[in-house]
Amino acid sequence: MIVYLGPLVIGFILGFILGTRIKPVPESKLKFDKEVYAVVVIVGILIAYWQQPFPYYQDIPLASGFLAGIVGIILGKLTFGR
Amino acid sequence: MSPILKLFTFPISLIIILVGINTILGGHITPGGGFQGGAMIAGGIIFCIIVYGLKESPIKITHNFMGAIESAGALGYVFLGLSGLVFSGFFMYNLGTNIYHIVPPFIQNLYNYPDALHAGIIPYLNFVVGLKVLVGLSAVVIAFLESDKYLGDEEQNDNLFGEDEK
Repeated sequence: MIVYLGPLVIGFILGFILGTRIKPVPESKLKFDKEVYAVVVIVGILIAYWQQPFPYYQDIPLASGFLAGIVGIILGKLTFGR
Repeated sequence: MSPILKLFTFPISLIIILVGINTILGGHITPGGGFQGGAMIAGGIIFCIIVYGLKESPIKITHNFMGAIESAGALGYVFLGLSGLVFSGFFMYNLGTNIYHIVPPFIQNLYNYPDALHAGIIPYLNFVVGLKVLVGLSAVVIAFLESDKYLGDEEQNDNLFGEDEK
């Protein structure tokens, strides 16, 4: 199994940048807590599995950049999105 | 907007954003790229902003953020172009692949994208273009939605249209 660093790093950076923009909204009645992120992680892993090793077709059987984006969004939210 | 729509929009917009990121990452070997992926990410952001409204949207895109990301994207593009000019003598020369063997190997390794194809600077160009496009397209919608506060004030409108001259 080969894991390429490029899509992991760039996917993580893009996800992190966008994750920092997810802020809590005190005025809103809807609260998006950890359950929403759990749903996004589960659905994201399923999509990454269905995509298989996109876009290189020879590394691990998951879209690694997609997963890095999920991790980036959640870490961005946890660090700067509070 | 209906509560069901409000409940579903945020997670779906996150998935749309992730698909956009994936499109940017595969831009050098599959259909797609920086513009398309950036437009998909902007689509996710715009979806959230339209359903929740600008004030209640969980994805907050501020003017400072837009300025910073747009500038970073543009500067990154210019930097990659000028790097080619400095090291090889050609603007936007693909230093990572170095087809004509102009630059030394350590420069080639520096600009090489670590993946199966070694596409050089193309994925980096996709990345910076994606940053610019996602901010640019979101900014259009945000500017239209923010225009409400300028249209609401009748006095201001009268002043704008020169009431004294009537």
